[in-house]
Amino acid sequence: MNGPGSSAPLVRLEGVTKVFNGSGHSTTAVRDVSLEARRGEMVLLMGPSGSGKTTLLTLIAGLARPTSGRVSLFGRGIERFSTRELQAFRAERIGFIFQAFLLIEALTAAENVGIVLRFGRTRRSERAARAGALLGELGVGHLADRFPAGLSQGEKQRVAVARALANGAELLIADEPTGSLETRQAVGIIALLHEQARKRGAAVIVASHDLRLRDFADRIVTLRDGAIA
Amino acid sequence: MYAVRTLRSQPLRLALTVGGIALCIVLMLFLLAVYRGVADGSVEYIRQNRADLWVLQDNATNILRGSSLIRPEQILAISRAPGVRTAAPVLFLLSTIRRGDRVGTIFLTGFDPGAGLGGPPALAWGRGPRADDEIVLDRSFAMKFGFKAGEEVDLQGRRLKLVGISRGTNAFVIQYAFVTLRFARDLIGVPGLATCVMVNAEPGAEIGPIREEICDVLAGLQAYDQATFLANNVHEMRSGFLPLLYTVAAIGSVVLTAILSLLLSVNILERRKDFAILKTLGAPSGFLWGLVVKQAALIASVSCAAALALFFPLVRLIERVSPEVTAKSTPGQVAGVAAAVLLMSLASSLAAVRRLRRIYVLEAFS
Repeated sequence: MNGPGSSAPLVRLEGVTKVFNGSGHSTTAVRDVSLEARRGEMVLLMGPSGSGKTTLLTLIAGLARPTSGRVSLFGRGIERFSTRELQAFRAERIGFIFQAFLLIEALTAAENVGIVLRFGRTRRSERAARAGALLGELGVGHLADRFPAGLSQGEKQRVAVARALANGAELLIADEPTGSLETRQAVGIIALLHEQARKRGAAVIVASHDLRLRDFADRIVTLRDGAIA
Repeated sequence: MYAVRTLRSQPLRLALTVGGIALCIVLMLFLLAVYRGVADGSVEYIRQNRADLWVLQDNATNILRGSSLIRPEQILAISRAPGVRTAAPVLFLLSTIRRGDRVGTIFLTGFDPGAGLGGPPALAWGRGPRADDEIVLDRSFAMKFGFKAGEEVDLQGRRLKLVGISRGTNAFVIQYAFVTLRFARDLIGVPGLATCVMVNAEPGAEIGPIREEICDVLAGLQAYDQATFLANNVHEMRSGFLPLLYTVAAIGSVVLTAILSLLLSVNILERRKDFAILKTLGAPSGFLWGLVVKQAALIASVSCAAALALFFPLVRLIERVSPEVTAKSTPGQVAGVAAAVLLMSLASSLAAVRRLRRIYVLEAFS
């Protein structure tokens, strides 16, 4: 697979600013940020709560449009994507990992993974096998038929990682992925993410204020008040 | 699975919703069945008494809600018109029957048993009246008042023997009873009078000229062929009943749609985080809409099944408690209601789906 930084950037932000307009006042969540992420690279966005990490992630994923500046995904400016194209991109090329795992409680572990495969247009007959294989690869194959309520925090996060990887995502976006985990689990999960990213040649962008993650990052971007410090 | 499991996660709410919708469906099925029963009961008499022509006083178009009096000389003239084989006068009266303290109104039909026209359309038991002291009662009327075979019936102080029970003679608001024409005329004290005359033509004779003769030569009379007369009576029955049916059915439909829409909306709001996650993960809009539509269709189907399970025992119970209610269901009616409910469930899901647009992907990150 490609080594870190060996190819054109999957994500490029150029002078990106995001302003939220509320009732009578506006808040600048991200201010003039420029950064890149390449295949196999893990970029760690650090900073205190409210520093704009999550907003930056949503901009990178094309979930929000910048107020000014330019965001490019896979070499193409997101302003040129239609809503449907962005949805298809998220389904097929971007994987998400959330702080609170955000597994769908009404679905089993295998179904949580399988539903993403469905969005990625994997044939129905292949979904169960692929979901099972991926869960097995991440060490939770025996929990495939369990609902999230019956899983530990660490197991939930592994299922969430499996879901993020299901469609062969080229870009993994993780928002505080270790926020709900104890140290051993946190290190384990970030090592897993790091390993999978390298193995699959995916770029990983992690927003966290967890200092334990610094050892795994290829690059650390520190944010303060929405700007790179 | 998501659609099913999220519904099942709130069993009480699901049961209440299904119960409410099932009752709306039962209401619709019941109204249709009663309508069918009334429709048949109102016009079965005309349908079964096949006459080539029905002659009434001018301006009277039906027997349900019309006033027609034909004088003896007119009846005689009709019977002598060229091409007429049989002219059977029938006298319809509103009369009362007393049983103990209870009094019931009947649509008394006096006919000539020898003419072969104008009698009960079908008998559930016994035979038609042959003598002036005999009567045939509608089945639901007999049940309601507890009349049994061979009993005496007190009709406006006259004692008549119950010799038969008729079917297809319950018009919901009133039921038919059958006596001889002579008895009916004697009851009102006006000899020779009739409400209408049923005419059958000689074999091979054309109806048109007979009709022209009756309408043009005999002043003050109108003659209808069987089909037109039946249509007139059906129209009359519908004009009185259908507005009520439509109104109640519309209310039922609105309630059903509102209940379902409310449940779906609550479900979406309670699971808005799920929907936000699914949107973030790249779920196509059609997939999310599909979840809501599936839930709506599922609830509608379960409600239909519950309604059918309730409906038939309920109808039997109602017919037992109120014999004048005759409900007739057909597979077509059931299929029609089921299709309408599915359409309403689709409308409910469309109303609920609008809430999906107000769920933003960023909510998954909050």
